[in-house]
Amino acid sequence: MADVYKLIHPVKFCNDYLSRNIRPDGRSFKQPRSIKINVDSIKTAEASAVVKCGNTAVVCGIQLELSPPKAEEPNVGFLVTNVELPALCSSKLKPGPPSDQAQVVNNIVSDIVLNSKCVDLKDLCIVPDKLAWVLYCDIVCVDNDGSLVDGCIIALMASLKTLSLPKVSYDAETEEIKVDPKSRTKLEIHSFPIVTSFVVYRLNQSNIILADPTAYEEDICGGSGTNLIVCYNKGLFCGTQKFGGSNLSKDCQDDALKTAKERANIVENIIDVCIRNHKNSSINE
Amino acid sequence: MKVTIEDVVLPSDQCEEIVKAGESGRVILGPGLRKEIDGVFIVKAGVLKKRSPNTYWVESYQKRYVPSRSENVIGVVVQKAGDIFRVDIGGSCTASLSYLSFEGATKKNRPAVKIGDVVYGKMLNASKDMEPELVCVDSDGKKNYMGVLEDGFMFKCSLNLIRKILNPKCPLIASLKNEWPFEMAAGMNGRIWIKANSMRETIAVGNAILGSEYASNEEIKSMCNNIASILAGHNS
Amino acid sequence: MDVDESQLKDFKLKPMKCEFNVLSKSDGSAILSQGETVVIVSVNGPLDIKMQSQSIEKATLEVLCCSKGGKPCVADRYKENIIKQTCDAALLSNQYPRTGITITVQELEDCGGLLPCSLNCACLALINSGLAMRCVFAAVTCVVDEQGDIVLGPSKEQLDTARAVLNFVFDSRDKSLMTGFTEGSFSEDTYKEAMERCRVASDLVFAFYRDIVKQYSKIIA
Repeated sequence: MADVYKLIHPVKFCNDYLSRNIRPDGRSFKQPRSIKINVDSIKTAEASAVVKCGNTAVVCGIQLELSPPKAEEPNVGFLVTNVELPALCSSKLKPGPPSDQAQVVNNIVSDIVLNSKCVDLKDLCIVPDKLAWVLYCDIVCVDNDGSLVDGCIIALMASLKTLSLPKVSYDAETEEIKVDPKSRTKLEIHSFPIVTSFVVYRLNQSNIILADPTAYEEDICGGSGTNLIVCYNKGLFCGTQKFGGSNLSKDCQDDALKTAKERANIVENIIDVCIRNHKNSSINE
Repeated sequence: MKVTIEDVVLPSDQCEEIVKAGESGRVILGPGLRKEIDGVFIVKAGVLKKRSPNTYWVESYQKRYVPSRSENVIGVVVQKAGDIFRVDIGGSCTASLSYLSFEGATKKNRPAVKIGDVVYGKMLNASKDMEPELVCVDSDGKKNYMGVLEDGFMFKCSLNLIRKILNPKCPLIASLKNEWPFEMAAGMNGRIWIKANSMRETIAVGNAILGSEYASNEEIKSMCNNIASILAGHNS
Repeated sequence: MDVDESQLKDFKLKPMKCEFNVLSKSDGSAILSQGETVVIVSVNGPLDIKMQSQSIEKATLEVLCCSKGGKPCVADRYKENIIKQTCDAALLSNQYPRTGITITVQELEDCGGLLPCSLNCACLALINSGLAMRCVFAAVTCVVDEQGDIVLGPSKEQLDTARAVLNFVFDSRDKSLMTGFTEGSFSEDTYKEAMERCRVASDLVFAFYRDIVKQYSKIIA
């Protein structure tokens, strides 16, 4: 019965829930979904993480490669992100070349990572002008149920946190490269950007914000492209994005910033705990 | 922003006069105005106009035609589909024109309309959710100048130009009509059809119309005289 | 956060110049220069579009960004998304169901602030096209410089050396935030102050729009 109602009166269905201060999936407005993280689950990648935020599932794997740095920036390495939205993650996507949505998400993710300077690209340089690391961060969405950017960033940060770079020796004369996979140094992570998505919903002439929206909530509020994305980096802002959709009032904005700040702390702790547990269990083995 | 009549307006402006008029009686909102829950808003940029006692509209610039009811338009027949013709009127989709909506047309006596013909008709209905419908007869079943336009020359222009030359205050038609004979049909969809005795005269009328888009009334008058004298010089 | 209004009196945005109707064949077009950055935008619609992309309740908006080099890239998709979502919120697209509206943005010269310039130019082109709009919008940029000061309408050098760049797009109806996108890190207070300053500055852009419409309203009447 509820399904029929939802189909016939999509707006009223949503209004009925939200005017009673609850969301269709039973959460309160600012309550994010639960997060599950598993690090180092893909053995063929140098570092990896699987993240589930509610139903949204994202896998991130990092591959390492060596390459000469760019001539104009000889002491800088590379960090390349690639977000893939295969047809399996949502019924709206079709197989084929990367969709517009995938390209937009990829741009947001890579902007956030570079803006927050969580990886100092100079750390990736081995020998200036000769050799540098390239980190290929492939992020694949397995199930897209809203708040995709959140999931991508959490997966990426969890992977980067566990990444260690093998020692490389470079002979300047013979140009011989020796990689020693046994002795590794951890990649230094300088900051920790955490993203929270919101949607702005127009209810009876006033706006309310919903944290960590599902795909259904995104659709009702004008599509996933209109999310408000707030990124916190250890108490500092490192980006807010909002594209169209309903307008954002001052109160809503303050609410969103507060919620995002709290969530950033929680998520950071979750990732830390998860990595610690993983280390302990691998030592025990 | 609050605006008053004859002001230059932008979308999202509000006019208090309209709201006040609405409290005491009926108000007719023309193009460019829209009623929402919290008041009447302007949705097009232009000049806010009023005709007493209660009609308000925004005079705006537009090139693309959006069909609206009971306007006379010029279209081109692009397809014959059974009982109807599909006519391109410059809107987002073609208008339908039944073969019965011509003067004296019956099931036996079909009008001779071919693909590519130019027709002058009236919008019978034009809702944003339905295909617009065109007729070439008035309510008495008379053709009233409408129907297929034979020969002549059709060209496009902005919707404002049509409104401008059809305005009784505009001197263009008045000053051209005495100079040499020609036929003209102006469609509110930004199309003008003209037919004169010679090619030169047709081009002269066309240029006079297109040239008057940005001209003032005095300029139009002098331009018409100018064109007439050039034409007279060539003919003699 | 309160902003001292008197401080803003003597503040100016980069000089803006605009011409309407530059393209004879499109339904609405505008060319806009903000400082040295120049963009041309063409709007076509409402048009007939493919059955599969039609929406029964509103017009389908399509935005195409062409950079000067002509090569499409991922960053273009991002820009297109911003412009599309913003125009979608400003247009009354439910007035034109089952149709398509195409907005084409062509970069002519990029000396910083291309995206805000494109947004303002798109708004002007929409005004010119005569499509029904809920509101007009104004994009304003500011930067946080090395000293932590907020600079409105930055030059190219200021953009390059800035600690953070913040872009805001405001709605003309109640000056609320329609679109916002930022680069770099900054504190929450800076963000709020920058936003308030840009909000006040958006009045200048709206006044500019009104001025332009005033100039060409002579030919309408």
